[in-house]
Amino acid sequence: MPLIINKELCSSCGECMERCTMDIIRLDKDGYPYKKYDECWYCGVCEEDCPENA
Amino acid sequence: MYIEADILIIGGGSAGSMAAIVAKEQNPKASVLVIEKGEIHRSGSIAMGMDALNIVVQPGISTPELYIDSALVATEGIMDYKPSYVMAERSYSILKRLESWGILFPKDEQDKYISLQVHAKGKFLLEMDSPDLKLILAEKLKEVGVKVINRTIITKLLVTNGHVYGALGFNLRTGDFIAISAKATIMANGGCARFSLPNSGYLYGIFDYPGNAGDGYSLAYRAGAQMTGFEYTSCSPLIKDLNCPLLYITLTRGAKVFNAFEEEIKLEYLSTQSMLKELREGRGPIFIQLNHLPEERIKEIERILFRVERPIQKKFWENRGIDFRDGRIELGITEYQLCGGHGMTGIVVNEKTETSLKGLYAAGDVACVPFQHLTGAFVFGEVAAENAIVLAKNTQNKKIAETIIEAEKEDLFKIMKKEGNISVGEFEYKIRRTISDYVVPPKNERKLLQALWWTPRFRNEMKKIRVNDFHELSRFKEIEFILDCTELSAHASLERKESRWGWFHYRTDYPKQDDVNWLKHIVLEYGIKSGEPQVSLVAIKNKGD
Repeated sequence: MPLIINKELCSSCGECMERCTMDIIRLDKDGYPYKKYDECWYCGVCEEDCPENA
Repeated sequence: MYIEADILIIGGGSAGSMAAIVAKEQNPKASVLVIEKGEIHRSGSIAMGMDALNIVVQPGISTPELYIDSALVATEGIMDYKPSYVMAERSYSILKRLESWGILFPKDEQDKYISLQVHAKGKFLLEMDSPDLKLILAEKLKEVGVKVINRTIITKLLVTNGHVYGALGFNLRTGDFIAISAKATIMANGGCARFSLPNSGYLYGIFDYPGNAGDGYSLAYRAGAQMTGFEYTSCSPLIKDLNCPLLYITLTRGAKVFNAFEEEIKLEYLSTQSMLKELREGRGPIFIQLNHLPEERIKEIERILFRVERPIQKKFWENRGIDFRDGRIELGITEYQLCGGHGMTGIVVNEKTETSLKGLYAAGDVACVPFQHLTGAFVFGEVAAENAIVLAKNTQNKKIAETIIEAEKEDLFKIMKKEGNISVGEFEYKIRRTISDYVVPPKNERKLLQALWWTPRFRNEMKKIRVNDFHELSRFKEIEFILDCTELSAHASLERKESRWGWFHYRTDYPKQDDVNWLKHIVLEYGIKSGEPQVSLVAIKNKGD
């Protein structure tokens, strides 16, 4: 499953990437987060710790 | 990077964070370093939060002796007295410490902590309301001046004459190599959650944090530490397809469990064995039912499930269109795993968290104090710090030889130069599938030998793995850890020629429990000459030993 974000709210701060427990998130060339690696365990940290609720 | 530290803590989860904070309390001048594979705010098994502190002995309500009686039921006698006793004895002060840090333990109208019975005897489980537990610990670490290095995997413990003096590793984003010389080292890096393959077939769709790949087991074993409990291969009935926890949260609040024929499944001490049996014997699917509970109780369950440990559950149930008021929760069997927290697998430790190696302490899921859960992680984090600080006072940092650093660097970075054609994920899948085939119950000698036939072949075939970057290099190292755990588990299971712990060590060739011959620990050590695990039987240390 891809990372689902609301691009209108995302500020490209990278907090989700920093907090990801498996270190699988990176920012794409436009600054939006995506799953670079395939090791998500759906812990929910990226969503929970997003300062913009994106 | 070359660092000298007084205390090195490998793993910044519950046990490691507590150890670091207490080490600074004991000696504010000590340099305390935490090496964390994830990121400290959300690392360890409790990425999000926790809903309970499983073992608390409240003065005037229960006693450590009563807890020991309960633990003896759960372990079927395979446990040493002192570590579990010390955990129970210190559990109340841990509760008070956590409370003083702002972690909420709800109370009833009589101002008593809300406690629930999940053990054979006594109500030891205390409700805890803390989705932010890990954030609070991370803030504490900062406040007391602990140095934390994130995104770094430890690949080797340094040991000379049975004394651990540091560790080597690398940053899994940048590849920066790190060498740490330490006066005392505390292992707090979890169990092996990535053991057998989950039914979904998805490598990371597992119950515990997948970063726990048996790193600590493998590192300690290869450094020469004694290991035990590897024949205890456990699984749980949890939410089918999602493998998220909910069992205690619902069962302790009045949930019922039904099989396919609408027969209620009776649970002895909330043991999962009867549920597993229903599934195994074709009376599944099995379901948790909540709709007989009052609305306020269902709301309470939802609040905990959707907020604290794995909030993702909320979306999962919404997508399936299931409401706990009329729908049921289908349970499925999780993968099998090795853990010293909710199982009994780990580094051999005494009540001071000392391992068989000098300078090396172990706390939390990596250490074998059976069913210590979160309480054990915190208590033994404290204990480890107290003892490590004393040792550090009388120890000097040992210089790490350049040759040792260069050799490890070369070993690691040559892995990336191989021209393999199998991805790390594909390779891990093969190994985990083989674990499912041969290392988990029902076990027998032939199956276990089959596993041991595969492990050297897998090691040899690892040269065919393609490693594209440092992130994948860390996954490669984790595959090595999983392989070590596979070997240790197969050897321990072969040795225990009886069946014990219900399904978890069920051998079709020795189907009976045999207390006359097997009330013993099976201890494994690295054989320096053979490179194979050396197995020995060790007597249980009872009260007074």
